[in-house]
Amino acid sequence: MSLRRRLAAFARRMTPPPPSRTRWLVRGTCLALAALALSPLVPGTLASTAIPALSPFVTIAAIVATRTLPTLAWPGLAVGAITLGRHRFFCRWVCPVGPCMDGASWLGQRLGRRTARFPLLGRWIVGLTLGGACLGYPFLLWLDPLARFAGLFVLGDRGPRLGLGLAIAGFLALLLLDVLRPHAWCACACPLGAFQDLSASLPGSLRSLLQRKYRDHEEANQSLTLPRRMLLSIAAGIAWGGTARWRHQGTSRPLRPPGAPEELTFRGVCTRCGNCTRACPAGIIERDLGQNGLASLLTPFLSFREGYCREDCIRCTEACPSGALVRLSLQDKASVRLGLPRVDMNVCLLAEDRECSVCRNRCPYDALRYVFSETDYTLTPQIDREKCTGCGACEAACPTAPRKAIVVVPT
Amino acid sequence: MNSPMNRRDCLRVVGLSGLAAGLSSATLSASSAQGPAESSGFQSSIITRDKVQATEGSPTLVNGKVIQPQRELPVLDETDVLVVGGGSAGVVAAIAAKRAGARVTLVERYGHFGGLWTGGLVLLITGHIIKGGKQVCQGIGEEIMRRLEKLDGAIIDRKPGSKPTVDAEAVKYLMVEMTEEAGVKVLLHCWAADAIVEDHTVRGAVLESKSGRQAILAKVVIDATGDGDIFAAAGAPFEHRSHNIGLVCRLGNLDRVDPARAARAPKPKHLGTRTPIPGVHWVNMHGPEVDGLDVATLTRMEMSHRKFIWKNLQETRRTPGYEQVYLLETAPQLGVRITRVLHGLSTVKFSDVRAGTRFPDAIGVGGADSGDHGEWQIPYGALVPLKVDGVLAAGRCISAELHMADLVRLIPNCFVTGHAAGVAAAVAVQNKCLPRDVDVAQVQKVLRQQEAYLG
Repeated sequence: MSLRRRLAAFARRMTPPPPSRTRWLVRGTCLALAALALSPLVPGTLASTAIPALSPFVTIAAIVATRTLPTLAWPGLAVGAITLGRHRFFCRWVCPVGPCMDGASWLGQRLGRRTARFPLLGRWIVGLTLGGACLGYPFLLWLDPLARFAGLFVLGDRGPRLGLGLAIAGFLALLLLDVLRPHAWCACACPLGAFQDLSASLPGSLRSLLQRKYRDHEEANQSLTLPRRMLLSIAAGIAWGGTARWRHQGTSRPLRPPGAPEELTFRGVCTRCGNCTRACPAGIIERDLGQNGLASLLTPFLSFREGYCREDCIRCTEACPSGALVRLSLQDKASVRLGLPRVDMNVCLLAEDRECSVCRNRCPYDALRYVFSETDYTLTPQIDREKCTGCGACEAACPTAPRKAIVVVPT
Repeated sequence: MNSPMNRRDCLRVVGLSGLAAGLSSATLSASSAQGPAESSGFQSSIITRDKVQATEGSPTLVNGKVIQPQRELPVLDETDVLVVGGGSAGVVAAIAAKRAGARVTLVERYGHFGGLWTGGLVLLITGHIIKGGKQVCQGIGEEIMRRLEKLDGAIIDRKPGSKPTVDAEAVKYLMVEMTEEAGVKVLLHCWAADAIVEDHTVRGAVLESKSGRQAILAKVVIDATGDGDIFAAAGAPFEHRSHNIGLVCRLGNLDRVDPARAARAPKPKHLGTRTPIPGVHWVNMHGPEVDGLDVATLTRMEMSHRKFIWKNLQETRRTPGYEQVYLLETAPQLGVRITRVLHGLSTVKFSDVRAGTRFPDAIGVGGADSGDHGEWQIPYGALVPLKVDGVLAAGRCISAELHMADLVRLIPNCFVTGHAAGVAAAVAVQNKCLPRDVDVAQVQKVLRQQEAYLG
C-alpha cells in the first residue's frame, strides 16, 4: 500500500464524519441507559452484568481462556455477530464509552490539542490477549472499555478508598488519553474497536485466503497485512501467557470469590469491572491493591473481617460478565471450597479459658467443634475439612482484635 | 405426720440456732410455723423424744424392688406464683411477679441466691450489650447492676459498653436485700423434687429438704431451675443436650506476683481474670462436653476438675514469681452450662437474630456475647411449653436452638427471661388464665412499667 493511501485511510479514521442528530440521540440514550443499569437504582444483577457483557472481545477471549461458555455470553456473541457484517456498528450506535471519549476529544481540541498519529495499539492488545487466552491467561482483557466504564460505578463499594480511586482512575486515564490525543482511544487504542475491525475484515480475509482470487497484487497484500500482524501479536501473547506461570510463581494468592477458576486464568479473565463487588450483599468482596503482585491489581478477593460468604447467595457468580466467576447453583456452591480456616491459639480466647463459642455457633455447616484436652484442660477449635467450605462465618464472628484468632486462608 | 411434735419447742430451737436472725421474716412466714420466735436462753434443747421417726410412706423392698408407697404430702404453702430456682433468672422472676401484684414464693436448693452467677463463680456479666455498645438488658437486671455499683467492692468495669465482673458475696447479699424489699417469701435449702400435675396443668412442686418431703401449691409455677426440672417432670417436651462442664475457682495473691522474676519463665496457664477483690482472679473452666443430668458424670467432673485445679496450682506456684499465689476457693456449684432445653411454642433462632426479626409477642431483648450482631427479641412463646400448662420456663432452659443456647444462657439474658416470666405469671394470676392464654400486650405494658427494654 502506498504511503498516500495509508495516510488517507488514517485521516478517515481520525476524523469521523460528524454524527447525525439521530445518532447523537441514540448514543446519548445508550449512555444514559448503561449508567442507569450500572447504578444501584436498578435492583438485581442482570442489568449491571449485561453492560460489560456486551463486549465480544471479552466474551471470545473468556471462551478461549476458560474453554467454557461464560454465563452471560449471548450479549457479547450477538454484538460480535452483528459486527461481522456491519463494521464498527457497536462503536457508532451503542458503546456508552464513545460519547464520553468524544467529549474528552472535544475538550482536547478546545485546548488546542491536535488529532495526531497514534500507534494502532488496539490490534496488538487484541492479538496479545487472544494469544495469552490460548494458554488460559488473557492478560490484557482488563483494557476492555466497557469494563473500565463499569469500574466507574463504585457507589455502595465497601472496600478501601484507594481501590475505589484506582477503579475510577482506570476510566479517567482513557479520558485523559483522548484529551491529550483527541480520538486516539476509539480509533487506535481501543481493543473492543480493534476487535470489531478484525471481525469485520475476517469474512473478507477468509474468502480471499480460500479463493486466492486476487484482483491485483496490492490488494492481496492489503488483505494479508492483517493476519500477519495478528499472527505476530498472537505469538507474542502465547509466549507471554506461556511464561506467566513461571513468572507468577511465588506470588501469593488471595481468597477468590466462589466459582473462580485456577488463579492465573482468573487474573487474566477478570476484567476488573467491579460487578461482583457491587452484587455482594455481604460486602466481603474487596479490590486487590497490588498486595498479590501487579497482575492481580484490582481483582476481587474475599475479606471476612465484617461478613462472610452467605450460604444462600450466588450473586457474584451471576454478576460476572466474563466467566472469571463461573455461575454456580446454590447446591454447587455448597461444595465449593473457598479456603480453610486456620486457628491461632496464641490469640484464641479459649486458650485463656474465656467463655467464647462464637465460631462454632456461627458456622452454617456445623464444621467446627471444640475438642477438650485432658492434659492442659483447654478447648481447641477443630475444623471438619469435609464439611467446611471456607465461607468465613467463623472469621467474621471471631471477637478478637486486632488479629482474628480464626482466619480463612487459601488452600 | 403423726409425730407429737411440740410446736413451742420447735420454735425455740429455730430461734436459738440463729436462723431467725439469718433468714428473713419472709422466709419464716413461708414456713408452716407462723408465730414469733422466742429465745429460751439454752444452748440447745430437745425438740422431740421420739426415737422412732414416722416411717409411714417410706419406700420398702417388695420382691427385691424398691417401692415408694402412695402417701399424702403436707402442703407447706399455697401461693400465686411459685418460682423454683433462685439463680439470676429465678430471683428476677420472683421480684418481678411480686412487684406486679402476685403472692410469690421462691425456693432455692442452696443456702444463697445467684445460682451459677455466685455459686458457680461465673462472675462475668456478658451478653447485655450489642454491636455499638448499647445495653439491651434493662429492668430488674439493670437495677441489680446499678445497686451493685453502690455497694463497696461489688462490681468492676461497669462502664457503658463493657463487661463488668462482680463479687459473688455482694450479689448473694444484694439478692437477699432485694427479695426482702419486694416481699417475696423465700425457702432456701429446698430441692424441688417433682412437679404436681393435675390434668396436664402444673399446680405446684414437691420439695425435698431437711423438713422432709413437702408440697407447695401455686397458680403458676416458674421453672428457673436451669435444668428444666419442673417442666420435664410435668411431661413437657424438651431436648436433652450435653455441654462442657467445668469447675470455676478463685486464685489469690495475684497482686504479689514478682514481675521481674515472672518475666524469666513462660506465664502459667489458667490464671483467669480480675475480680473486684484486689489480687483475686476468677478462673473459668470449660471441661469436657458431657451430660449434666447424670449424677455419676457430675461426680466424675467434680473430682477430676478438683484434681486438675490442685495440680495446676502447684505448677503455678513453682513458676518463678508466682510462689505466693494460692487457691482461694473452688466454686460450690459445678459449672453445668446446658442440660434440658424446652420445646416451646416458639424458639429463639439464630436466623432471626441475623434477620433482626421483630416478634409481636416480644418480652425482652437479648444482647451479643462478642458484639458481633445486633439486638434480638425474645418471643413470649419461647417461655411457654408445649402440651403442659401452668408452668413457664425462665433462664437457660427456655426454648432456643442449639446455636443460640450459648447466648440464651448468659446471665443478662437470664435476667431478661426471668423478668418476663415473672410478669407474665403475675398477669396470668391476675386475669385468672393459663400462662399460654395470657394477654401479651398487658405483659409488655407491665414490663415497660418495670423499665424493661423490649426493642
